[in-house]
Amino acid sequence: MAEEIIRLGNADIYQQETLVLKEVNLKVLKGEFLYIIGKVGSGKTSLLKTFYHELPMANGDGEIMGYNLNKMKMSDIPLLRRRLGIIFQDFQLLSDRTVQKNFEFVLKATGWRQERAIHERIDEVLNLVEMPDAGSKMPHRLSGGEQQRIVIARAMLNNPQIILADEPTGNLDPGTSEKLMVLLQEINKEGVTIIMATHDYEMIRKFPARRVICEEGQLKEFLLPAEPLDFDSILLEG
Amino acid sequence: MSIVNYFFPMAKEKLRKSLFSSYFSTTLSIALVLFLFGLLGLLLINTKRLKDYVMENVGVTLILKEKTREVDILKLQKNLESTPYIKSTKFVDRQTAAEELKKDLGEDFVDFLGYNPLLSSMDVRVHAEYANPDSMSQLEAKFLKFPEVQEVYYQRNLVKQLNSNVQKLSLIILILSILMFTIFIALINNTIRLSIYSKRYLINSMQLVGATRSFIRFPFIVKSVLHGIYGAIIACFILLMIFTSYQSELKDFIDFQDSVSLAILVGSIFTFGIIMTALSTYLAVNKFLRMKFDQLYY
Repeated sequence: MAEEIIRLGNADIYQQETLVLKEVNLKVLKGEFLYIIGKVGSGKTSLLKTFYHELPMANGDGEIMGYNLNKMKMSDIPLLRRRLGIIFQDFQLLSDRTVQKNFEFVLKATGWRQERAIHERIDEVLNLVEMPDAGSKMPHRLSGGEQQRIVIARAMLNNPQIILADEPTGNLDPGTSEKLMVLLQEINKEGVTIIMATHDYEMIRKFPARRVICEEGQLKEFLLPAEPLDFDSILLEG
Repeated sequence: MSIVNYFFPMAKEKLRKSLFSSYFSTTLSIALVLFLFGLLGLLLINTKRLKDYVMENVGVTLILKEKTREVDILKLQKNLESTPYIKSTKFVDRQTAAEELKKDLGEDFVDFLGYNPLLSSMDVRVHAEYANPDSMSQLEAKFLKFPEVQEVYYQRNLVKQLNSNVQKLSLIILILSILMFTIFIALINNTIRLSIYSKRYLINSMQLVGATRSFIRFPFIVKSVLHGIYGAIIACFILLMIFTSYQSELKDFIDFQDSVSLAILVGSIFTFGIIMTALSTYLAVNKFLRMKFDQLYY
């Protein structure tokens, strides 16, 4: 049996003073592919933020890759984040420098020293998202979809054990979305755990996997079969 | 211009960008503060000189006895000049004294009286340390012991007044310095904090991708210290320009030969610039490093 890589037990998740998710119990196994679904504002992003310790956990306990989310030292936060590949919903690209420099910053911040190795890795991830020439461009010169792909490439830089993806297909056209999903599936096959918050039910249908749903302040397993799902009703509810 | 464009197609745009960027205005703000800091430092270094300049204007007139021989006068002058408290002496014979008084009065009193009632005298200037009421009265007694001296004359009230004024001045300069220094610190701190504030989302993003605090801080501090160094260079340059243009007007107050003091001044401008920018940056970046993303919006 595969080992647990994330475990939350009775965790309450607050955004400022508001309780977003109550008594969350979640176990994610190493190498698993997990969708987090739910309406807008239901707490999907907050849950992901808890994983990278941007939101503190008020009650309950949690562990991710051996890091205790309750009693995390300030100096451990960067170390945790380095081992995660995070695809932020709002990109979080450094707006004052080129894509190349953005990636260099990440690599240098995480201990890479050799310029040649750095450049090779940057070329690799840019090829992965099919944007080999984007290195010299400033983030604001790229379209939303292009920025999205750059952020995905950045998340891959350090060969993370977990990829946290917050609406990664939100800004992409269906064709590119599908390519991205294929890419994520391939990465997942190599043993990387992938947690993806999404609205994109079309993609869930095409690439079925375990789903959890944020609903009424709680996180539940979503056990309905993927195929005969009535997407229209879910969308209408949302 | 076209040659520049040919060789450096980006040069013009880059130059314009950097000139009008916050980078430039930050450097300029720091430079102006450091310039004022330099002026203050200059004032402090030269306060003693300024004080001495004022105090050494106090003159003592020794009225000499009528029958004093010229040899004795020269001897007296030599004696006086060899003492530690005398800065300079000037012998005024009775004819010259009469001429000067005639000029002042605008009337030929010698003609009117039929003789010159004035005696020869010795104008003495004492060193600043002795130009206070206590020392002056002691000096007066000393002067009177010389057989050639008949009378010692100086303006007691002026000496008193000058002393109390100089004391007040010193206090004012001290308070002013403390005040100015506080203002300088606040100004540089504000300038730096504003420039860091504009980068607060950037700092947050850097944290999100796993950079440690010190890794994020370091480039900010390097950049700020560079601002500080450029600012100090500009400040010293402006000070130098003022010195050279007004050298003759300022030479009584500022000793341009005193290269040690000037080196200290330049050194402290650089030190102040570097320490202040580094420290302010450290504190400002730390402030935003501690903030959660939601807090950045307030």
